Amino acid sequence: MTDRSADILPLRQSIGGIADQLTGIPLHFPARRRWWIAMLFALALLLLLVISMVELFTRGVGIWGINVPVNWAFAIHNYVWWLGIGHAGTLISALLLLTGSGWRNSLNRFAETMTLFAVLCAGIYPVLHLGRPWYLYWMFPYPATMGVWPQFRSPLEWDIWAVLTYLTVSLAFWYTGLIPDLAAARDRATGRGWQIFFGVTALGWRGSAAHWQRWSQAYRLTAGLAVPLVVSVHSEVSLLFAAGQIPGWHSTIFPPYFVLGAAFSGFAMVAIIAISLRSWFGLKNLVTDEHLDLLGMVVLACGLMTAYGYVFEVFDAFYSGEPHELQTLLDRTAGAYAWTYWGAVIFNFIPLQALWWRRVRRTGWSLMLVSISVVIGMWLERYMILVTSLYRDFLVSSWSHFTPTFWDWSTWLGTVGLFLVPFLLAIRFIPLISIFETKELLHEEKEDAHG
Amino acid sequence: MPQQPQSSDDPDRPRLWSGIEELSGDPSFENWVNAEFPSAMELPPTARRQFLKLMGASFALAGLTACEKSPFVAALPYVNQPADEAPGVPRYYATAVTFEGYAQPVIATTYAGRPTKLDGNPDHPVTQGRSDVFMQAAVLGLYDTDRAQGPTRRGEPATWKDVAGYIDEQRENWATTQGEGLRLLIGSTASPTLLRQIDELLAQFPKARIHTHEAAARMARHRLTQAAYGQALDVHYTLDACDVVVSFDDDFLGPGPDQVRNARAWSAARRRNANEPGIRLFVAEPVPSLTGVVATRLVADVQRLPILTQAFAARAGVEGASMPDISGPERDWIEAAAAACKAVAGRVLIACGGCCDDTAALWIARINDALKNIGRTLNFTRPVAGPTPAGTINDLVADMNAGNVDTLIVVDANPAYAAPMSLGFADALKKVSATVHVGLQQDETGYRCEWQFPLTHALESWSDARAVDGTATILQPTVAPFYDVRSVHQIFGMLLGEIDPTRDGAVRATWQTTFGGDFDKHWAQALHDGFISGAAPFVTENVSAQAIGRPAPAAQIGEGEFDVIFHPDPTIWDGRFANVGWLQELPKPLTTLTWGNAVSIGPLLAKHFGLVNGDHVEVAIGDRHIEGPVWVMPGQAEHAIALSMGYGRTRAGRVGDSLGYNAFEVMPADGARLAKGNLRKVGGHETLAVTQLHHRMEGFDFVREVNASNPTLPKAEQQPSFYPPWPSSKNAWGMVIDLDSCIGCNACVVACTAENNVPVVGKEQVEAGREMHWLRIARYYKGDVETPRSFFQPVPCMHCEEAPCEMGCPVHATTHSPEGVNQMVYNRCIGTRTCSSFCPYKVRRFNFYDFRAPEDSPLHAADNPDVTVRSRGVMEKCTYCTQRIEAAHAVADKDSRAIRDGEVMTACQSACPTRAITFGDINDPQSEVSRLKRDGRHYALLEEQGTRPRTTYLARWRDDAGDHQG
Repeated sequence: MTDRSADILPLRQSIGGIADQLTGIPLHFPARRRWWIAMLFALALLLLLVISMVELFTRGVGIWGINVPVNWAFAIHNYVWWLGIGHAGTLISALLLLTGSGWRNSLNRFAETMTLFAVLCAGIYPVLHLGRPWYLYWMFPYPATMGVWPQFRSPLEWDIWAVLTYLTVSLAFWYTGLIPDLAAARDRATGRGWQIFFGVTALGWRGSAAHWQRWSQAYRLTAGLAVPLVVSVHSEVSLLFAAGQIPGWHSTIFPPYFVLGAAFSGFAMVAIIAISLRSWFGLKNLVTDEHLDLLGMVVLACGLMTAYGYVFEVFDAFYSGEPHELQTLLDRTAGAYAWTYWGAVIFNFIPLQALWWRRVRRTGWSLMLVSISVVIGMWLERYMILVTSLYRDFLVSSWSHFTPTFWDWSTWLGTVGLFLVPFLLAIRFIPLISIFETKELLHEEKEDAHG
Repeated sequence: MPQQPQSSDDPDRPRLWSGIEELSGDPSFENWVNAEFPSAMELPPTARRQFLKLMGASFALAGLTACEKSPFVAALPYVNQPADEAPGVPRYYATAVTFEGYAQPVIATTYAGRPTKLDGNPDHPVTQGRSDVFMQAAVLGLYDTDRAQGPTRRGEPATWKDVAGYIDEQRENWATTQGEGLRLLIGSTASPTLLRQIDELLAQFPKARIHTHEAAARMARHRLTQAAYGQALDVHYTLDACDVVVSFDDDFLGPGPDQVRNARAWSAARRRNANEPGIRLFVAEPVPSLTGVVATRLVADVQRLPILTQAFAARAGVEGASMPDISGPERDWIEAAAAACKAVAGRVLIACGGCCDDTAALWIARINDALKNIGRTLNFTRPVAGPTPAGTINDLVADMNAGNVDTLIVVDANPAYAAPMSLGFADALKKVSATVHVGLQQDETGYRCEWQFPLTHALESWSDARAVDGTATILQPTVAPFYDVRSVHQIFGMLLGEIDPTRDGAVRATWQTTFGGDFDKHWAQALHDGFISGAAPFVTENVSAQAIGRPAPAAQIGEGEFDVIFHPDPTIWDGRFANVGWLQELPKPLTTLTWGNAVSIGPLLAKHFGLVNGDHVEVAIGDRHIEGPVWVMPGQAEHAIALSMGYGRTRAGRVGDSLGYNAFEVMPADGARLAKGNLRKVGGHETLAVTQLHHRMEGFDFVREVNASNPTLPKAEQQPSFYPPWPSSKNAWGMVIDLDSCIGCNACVVACTAENNVPVVGKEQVEAGREMHWLRIARYYKGDVETPRSFFQPVPCMHCEEAPCEMGCPVHATTHSPEGVNQMVYNRCIGTRTCSSFCPYKVRRFNFYDFRAPEDSPLHAADNPDVTVRSRGVMEKCTYCTQRIEAAHAVADKDSRAIRDGEVMTACQSACPTRAITFGDINDPQSEVSRLKRDGRHYALLEEQGTRPRTTYLARWRDDAGDHQG
């Protein structure tokens, strides 16, 4: 794939022009009206989240549709979904940085931003989910006077660590990557406030060779930390399920299955955002059809690997011959929530096949549709994994049902607001495409072209 | 058209309220509630209704208009502590609660003078410490906030002085007329004192008449003995002396006053042999019953019962019986039953129940005669409960309508609800000038009467009552009355002209003659023991079957007609327990339905009408009809429709009102429990509040079976574990549940609720799947839906040795105790619910909301002070009654000895009428529980999961050992 970076950006543009174009977005915001409409919509959703949280903390988790046996539903389901979306940002930035795939440079900044806010959305769920959220801190190993520690055998405990580590490293990686651009914005800022803001956040970057050298080391090192974290975090998330004995959960394929599923939905989300941004801000010169083509291929590859997970889940059930596993398989494919299973299969894998065609990958709207389908499909998949396993577990006498309530939906839609509001703010106030890296890429391309 | 119960808007009566919802139509009240409880405004309608209900406790006690505080918040610590009262140390009283007038002997546990838990009296000859759901729940009735709390006249508060004045006035009238026009309607009672007082009253006013009414009682059985033997008799089975019982629709193990006695005897007989099943049951019945579940069962329509009894008589060689035409399955069943009877001649009983007509009853009596069962396995006594002789409610209503009744005193009965509506009691009542209701609650009848004299609860009363076998118990109060109420004996004392009768005077007077000279000693002994030895004598003279007349042609049912069978509800009976939350939320044994009733139909009928559970149907009998949701009952006969009584109440109180349909709407005026009717599908569907949605075992082996030829289950290899075994302290607790003995009666569930402060969550929460019972009775069936085999399996916490929940909890809120108990640390729980998600048995329960009663609710007085009341967001589950274990430790430690086997009894174990639950120390190889764990029938549920549960099961015996594969 690296060979494609040779001609991914159109050569007929100046390096300074790119810097002007990209720093110009926050400094002379081009789409105020559209931005405000989007922002109001996002704020409305955020308000819905606040209302839902007040209701939740006042009355308790009973406002959701959960019960015994379906103890876990929307909260955990959307936690996993958001976290999965978040992973693509890290993968694009860090993994492709390490493999030297220059084409990432147009995508990495907003993909990383997306990661941060998706992890934020994911991160509030474990708190909302608690019966007594005000005791959340008991999950941390602080020196309690009673001498009680967290229970380290619990996958929830691992989860806390995995997610916090991931959030920290993602934040560090994102910020490190942002420093040269913050400096560029500082240099072009005219308002006093902007100058101070970018001046402080740029940490005194002057672009000396020593700066670049240290920066490059730090950036690569953080990337080196971030990549295994994607794998560990989502493997760990899968252990929330796989460590339990519930049929449909208790399977060793879960860690890779979850990691790939996460990348799958995450890359789809990156594609959605990339296509939106480039049409919104006229960035076709930077996020090119070539980029979409590459994203489409990655989505297709992740999708096919996820499909492998589906096939092997079915195979496992039959291979084990375990009656409860077979029962769960039957419940998934033909039970009350079969729509989630078949919905996941259809939304995830049917439109995906269109990506075998280059035209489809390179066309904004068609890739967008496929990606939306994947995001919906992966949402259904998480619903399916949680609910279809729990609503009918071992003992027939405890078989029950789950129906999401208004508050389930409102909390979830509210987290979309929680994602959009800071993301829109980021679009508004920071360069959403890495300026220096794009320039670097363009420069290299031009050098290559000159021979 | 059905008659609607009289509405509350009767203009010439002051407006009363007994339910908050009723007042919630009133705008001023609405405003008041909204101002006082702003949060209530935002609740959706159902939650709001629930809120109003639950808030009810404080409203009722504070009084809506008064500003008094609840008496239950005013509790203050002792300044000078009484010398004989140690806080936190329970005291025990032997007394009894009553059910249909019969004593249910109990040991009441009281803390600081308030009863919290009832257990059977272990020394009592009838119950031997066993109990049923009604006995277990009686304690909650004591704290019912909707009880009548003081005398009222036309709804206005009155004083007992007013009452005394009124009675004096009436007595003068009666004295002049010798009681002409005075009528008493009384529920069945087995209280010697009350019967004596009634006799005295009749002696004083000889023209007064007494009537008796019980909607669900043993009248049905008296009808059968009348038909068979020409007299009303109480029937007593000696199951200990039986090897085979053949029952024609007699649910003798089902709910009712006889349940404890029969279930106890049956289970003892069932366990008679070590390596094969003991007593065997054969049941032919139209509607599945608890007895049918443990029997070799034949699905028989009501019409088939006389034919089947005749066939059985013919097969048993009864004179004059010819073999009628019967179907293949019927023949197989009769052959099997007859062969079994023959093999154990002399140890056989033929039982006869509610759906049998006179012909069937006669055949059964003749079979019992021919097999010489009377005196051996079957005995009779004169009716233990009275009053006898007494008129019926039908006579009374006829007289009321004819204007022959001037004064009606209704004692402990609710004929305005629990009698056929077509009888028109409520309308007839308007023709009576003076009406008095004496009862615990101002119910539908009390509301329509001029006077309400509130009664004391059995746990607050001096009284006496006989158990079903005639053994008497003196009821002593465990607590002083909370309210301005009097016992029925005090009220009768007043009717008899006594001035301010004492609480125990009448009871002492009754027993004075029996105890004779050494009264005090006998009295103290009787109170201490909780019973006075001496059952009713058996009637041996003149008990033989009537000559069989011309067999009445079997009543055919017409096209589109069905047999409608009226059953008392298994948890709230005829509605008298409708306001007891524990019983409303208790799953009905065969349906797991809570908070309502359903029209039970068989699968064939459901198929014919295209009905599924919850579809609305209309049942019409004559020109009256009711509408309710349908329940498709596997194994119910094709032409049988079963209705259950007790619902559709309007004046039960905040818990029991407006639930389900009222079966009394369509009950024939003569009170027959069987009628011909039609079924019609109407539009509409509702979600039933059931606790188990799926009942077919789906090919799994949760309930295992063995048979006599193959009595041992294969021993499973212990699965290896990643973790090292836990070190065990001296005791290691374990439990074994014998599925062969479980009759699914639910006594254990209510006992657990009472012992462990398990909250009642209400209908909406049960529908959402959030019931809180720590112990559930799983109900399964397998096989063909028309002739299934049914199983019960109590599922408490398994206390796994390798517990997935313990591994899942991130904060150590559920841990393994040194004694192997899987503990739940409530105040450490943060509510991640991981433990419940990981639990393969789903026995954990979560407080999705704050399910606690309001702070000043009297229901807290029923709480066990040794058990934490759990708050919102906390997981809870069976603890093996850890408070009882700790109490036993304390006692044993004081004596420096080990805990003896059987010293710790869990609540479920001590309640179980069949002793199906055994608990003890598995480290002690001599303990009963260790012995059972070595039994060939022993197995663990989901053994293959490697959880190594401490709670394990004994497989059910399959009776038809020789005939089929096991």
